Amino acid sequence: MTKPLKILLMLLLTVFSLFAVTFTIYFFNLDMKLTSKIEPIFLKHYDKIKRDLYL
Amino acid sequence: MTTIQNPREKKGEHTLGVLYDEGKVRRRREWRGVKDTFYDYTRWLYLVSVLAKFIVKPRNVKGMFRYRWMANYLAVMHGMDKFTIGLRDEPLRITHTAMNFVIADVTQAIDNCFRGDRRLGNDKAFSDRCVLTDENAMTAFMMGFPNVKAILREVPTMFAANIFNQFSTMHYLDVAQQNGLPGDVCPMPEAEAGISIGDDFCVLGCCAVQVNTTCDGSLMGNGVIAKRLERQYGIPTFQLVAPMRHREEDVQDYAAEDMKKAIAFVEEHTGQKWDWTHYFECAKQVNDATRKRLAQLEINSTPYPQFFGSVFSLYNDTNYMGNCGRDRKFIKIDAKLMKLAEKGYQHKRMAAKEYRHRCIIWGVQPQYCIDMLYWMLQCWGVMPLTDMLSMVNTRMIAEEDTPENREQAYYDMAWLNENMIMRNRTHGGYKVLVDELWEFCEMMHADMVMMWEHMSCKALTGMHGQFEEQARERGIHLVWVSHDLCDPRVYTRQAIRDQFNTYMRTVMLEEPIDPSIEILPDDNAW
Repeated sequence: MTKPLKILLMLLLTVFSLFAVTFTIYFFNLDMKLTSKIEPIFLKHYDKIKRDLYL
Repeated sequence: MTTIQNPREKKGEHTLGVLYDEGKVRRRREWRGVKDTFYDYTRWLYLVSVLAKFIVKPRNVKGMFRYRWMANYLAVMHGMDKFTIGLRDEPLRITHTAMNFVIADVTQAIDNCFRGDRRLGNDKAFSDRCVLTDENAMTAFMMGFPNVKAILREVPTMFAANIFNQFSTMHYLDVAQQNGLPGDVCPMPEAEAGISIGDDFCVLGCCAVQVNTTCDGSLMGNGVIAKRLERQYGIPTFQLVAPMRHREEDVQDYAAEDMKKAIAFVEEHTGQKWDWTHYFECAKQVNDATRKRLAQLEINSTPYPQFFGSVFSLYNDTNYMGNCGRDRKFIKIDAKLMKLAEKGYQHKRMAAKEYRHRCIIWGVQPQYCIDMLYWMLQCWGVMPLTDMLSMVNTRMIAEEDTPENREQAYYDMAWLNENMIMRNRTHGGYKVLVDELWEFCEMMHADMVMMWEHMSCKALTGMHGQFEEQARERGIHLVWVSHDLCDPRVYTRQAIRDQFNTYMRTVMLEEPIDPSIEILPDDNAW
């Protein structure tokens, strides 16, 4: 196999792998499933911040 | 009305109920056939890139850890999915084009807030060029200041956050009420007051302009916010007072005079001079946006509406109030939306299996935080043609720079401000709220009105009986749906949908098109 063909094949494989990974995340809503697990951690953190209440 | 059947077979998912479970987010994304799923996927990638560009800045990471409302932006993609339920072809592309632009605009607004914020970016030179502008104001008084930024900090903090997460305001409502504010007002301004009391607003700007809005809650909230701005942060605040009876001729001189004072106030605190050339350029853009919006409404008055639902309203909010002709990016998006809508109309594209009813959405609406309008369409075949907040100014304002038009411009800016979204219908008398609704029903060929009844809003309460009586006289189906805007503890999503379901089953004697979404387990969802 020639070098340019090898590079092209590698490039195609990389693009396809990226597509496969991102499409799986997209379709199975894995991004939102992950962020929904992160949210409670953030909320606990916000509760600990000292606030200057002012009315 | 006669039912219109979609001649095209719907590709992909037919029963949308499979996407929902008891969780915070959906089980998976919708299968829309190869072409439309791939399109939706590419828009998802685009939004990922928008959010990634935002969060790579260390200042914004710091903001994420400082401000509670930032956690709501973990749900951006979920919010986007709410507005595209069941959509295919041009309606899907229109919704994405408009909503993606709104999301990018909000992201920019947060970035600006953090840049000038005394706690984060603390860019003093930038902050000195910023004017904090009331979320419920038309930014018309900023049209002649090309070098000054209008910062609508309530938009990312409260309004947009609530689009993505229905629980976003609950903490702030509790803060406000724990500090003695009454709980029977609109939760939107009350949440904003809670954000101010709870020390969760960004602090920036050389001055602020507040506008009396539509209700007791708003007046209360603005008082609380202005007090903190002026007394603690030393940010002078101007009260731009729009007359409530905005259709009366005798209030216009006063409104124009007040507009002059607001401009003088901004000039004084920013050190910038009003630029008439820039003003008239913006005025041309406002007129262009008005023409495009009217053209979209004209398409929606035909049997094949294209740009509809919450996103139609959200885009109008952003374009009219937040932008008001000042941002050139809107021209391109307006044109793209128009082109897509025209194409969709020519090809008679439909957004559901069938259209059984043509409906106007009226009253104070919570449809941003739930997917009600898209749900009505997919579940019952009820097409939401337009809504109260989208029926704003239709008048062309002066756009040529002449001595007479410079005087007229103050009246035009005052007119835009008086006819701001919400205020132009909930205040101004019987004609703008009741009479004109029937005119719109005729214009849009609607046989149904869905009346949102916001239980904490006093503005529409007195008109209840008149709406019922007059709808009956005209043979228009009037569906009352109660809610408490952004407080889901009072009316859950299913409690809201149940009111519509009951009407459709008991009065209309109809069966749903998609029974799998008549009852949805999404009360705990973002």
